[in-house]
Amino acid sequence: MRSRIAFALAALALAATACTSQNAALQQHQEKLESLGSSTAAIADAWLGGNTSDRYTRTALEQIYRLIEQERARLAATPDALASSRGAHLSETAERLSRLVAVMIHDVGRGDAPAVRQRVTQIPIRPQS
Amino acid sequence: MSAIADLLLGVITSIGGFVEAGSISTAAQAGSEFGFQLLWAIAAATIVLALLVEMSGRLAAVSRRSVAAAVRERFGIHFHAVPLTAEFFIDVLLLAAEIGGAAVAVKLLTAIGFQWWIVPIGLLAWLVLWLLGFSGIEYGLGLLGLATLSFVYAAWQLGPDVGDIRAAFVPSLPTHHPTRYAFLAVSIVGATVSPYLLNFYSSGAIEEDMNESELWVNRATAYLGICFGGIVSMGVLVTSAMVLGPKHVIVDSYEQAALMLVPVFKTWAVPIFAASLGIGCFGAAVELSLNAGYVFSQAFGWAWGANKPRRDAARFTTAFTCVLVVSILIALLGFDPLRLTLFSVALTVVIMPIVVLPFLVLMNDEDFVKQHKSTAIGDGVLAALVILGAIMAVVVIPLEYFGG
Repeated sequence: MRSRIAFALAALALAATACTSQNAALQQHQEKLESLGSSTAAIADAWLGGNTSDRYTRTALEQIYRLIEQERARLAATPDALASSRGAHLSETAERLSRLVAVMIHDVGRGDAPAVRQRVTQIPIRPQS
Repeated sequence: MSAIADLLLGVITSIGGFVEAGSISTAAQAGSEFGFQLLWAIAAATIVLALLVEMSGRLAAVSRRSVAAAVRERFGIHFHAVPLTAEFFIDVLLLAAEIGGAAVAVKLLTAIGFQWWIVPIGLLAWLVLWLLGFSGIEYGLGLLGLATLSFVYAAWQLGPDVGDIRAAFVPSLPTHHPTRYAFLAVSIVGATVSPYLLNFYSSGAIEEDMNESELWVNRATAYLGICFGGIVSMGVLVTSAMVLGPKHVIVDSYEQAALMLVPVFKTWAVPIFAASLGIGCFGAAVELSLNAGYVFSQAFGWAWGANKPRRDAARFTTAFTCVLVVSILIALLGFDPLRLTLFSVALTVVIMPIVVLPFLVLMNDEDFVKQHKSTAIGDGVLAALVILGAIMAVVVIPLEYFGG
């Protein structure tokens, strides 16, 4: 009896540890994506304010795009992360952010400031505060 | 008069040559993620570096030997093979990271992929090494490096709270992400106290024929130049903390880091950031390559010297050329330059005891430094700090890269 209780407690502890570790990992992904959302806004604002060139802005947005894709790949690296609703939501948000940045790169190339301004308001993930 | 001119030039070029890929990336990340909280790490690392550099110059001026040559002579080639190998490994990684950083700087201005610039930048570094003597390399690149003072100007213009900055010089525990905080502290130390600087500085002292009567010049150059250089790193951290921190931008690329100068320099922000990064990284790449030539030549007893005609120091020339080629090949593998930089500077702290501890033994050996020995307390503190840093690095590097 005692050994069964000990086994059950150990299993519970392991499950709790795994859950905590997964939550921490998802939190890290979320923070990274929030930072990339903020970076997109900061790069776009600098361009809209006339402070940065089209060339730099496109290069910087392409780099942000690459970083989002890397984060998406890391998020999808383990099935457990995507199986949770939070993980799935993050993955979808990352995909939307990725698509938005891709469109923004084209808008900057065309010099379409109103479109870029509009995209900034549509950034799907930003820090809470 | 000449000594004072040498001193001024030495201090100015030390300031210009202080900042490179490692210090820009670690300070920018630390500022964006933890505000001013890691200023103490830059201050501590700067003091340790100033002490070590002064000692290496003293060793060279008194014994007429560089650090590598003295270690080889005192401990023998079998022992010297260990720090030599460790330093070679780190120098090659750092050199690849610096070339990558310079390539990203050109990419920021041209929008052409950084990989395309790696070979041209490597070739340019080799041409500088081939064509210029020590003074041309040291002073030329150091003076150009004064562009990095733009970070100090930016920090000044942003008007940080003096009380907050003063408080940040006292180490404090972070309110979030303790592993990341510790990793950045270790990386800042590794970026600042690069072991290659010890041998580079002592070899430079020999190239410039420094002698015992100029020990005060060595002391003043090391302390003033490096402490003022540390202020440039702090400028990066403060600017990043004040501009990127509030926007919640965590620096993962140089493209993001360039935004920190926008509020102050407006349309000039990206060109100034690119110039600072490019010059800093290129200067460090040239110094690292030159030091590789020094270290190998001094370890194996070959003729060496940037002031010698290249045909008179053929093995020295071959050594720096080979190291440059290996680093270019590593940089071409496509590693992200910023990540490669962070990894390299953190590893630097791990190998630091292997390089620094034998050096501290030398600084207490009258055969080498005569009556100019270091104090036992100072050496003890330095040794303790270096060992503590290495232990911390061994713990936090796996946690940072494999989760913790």
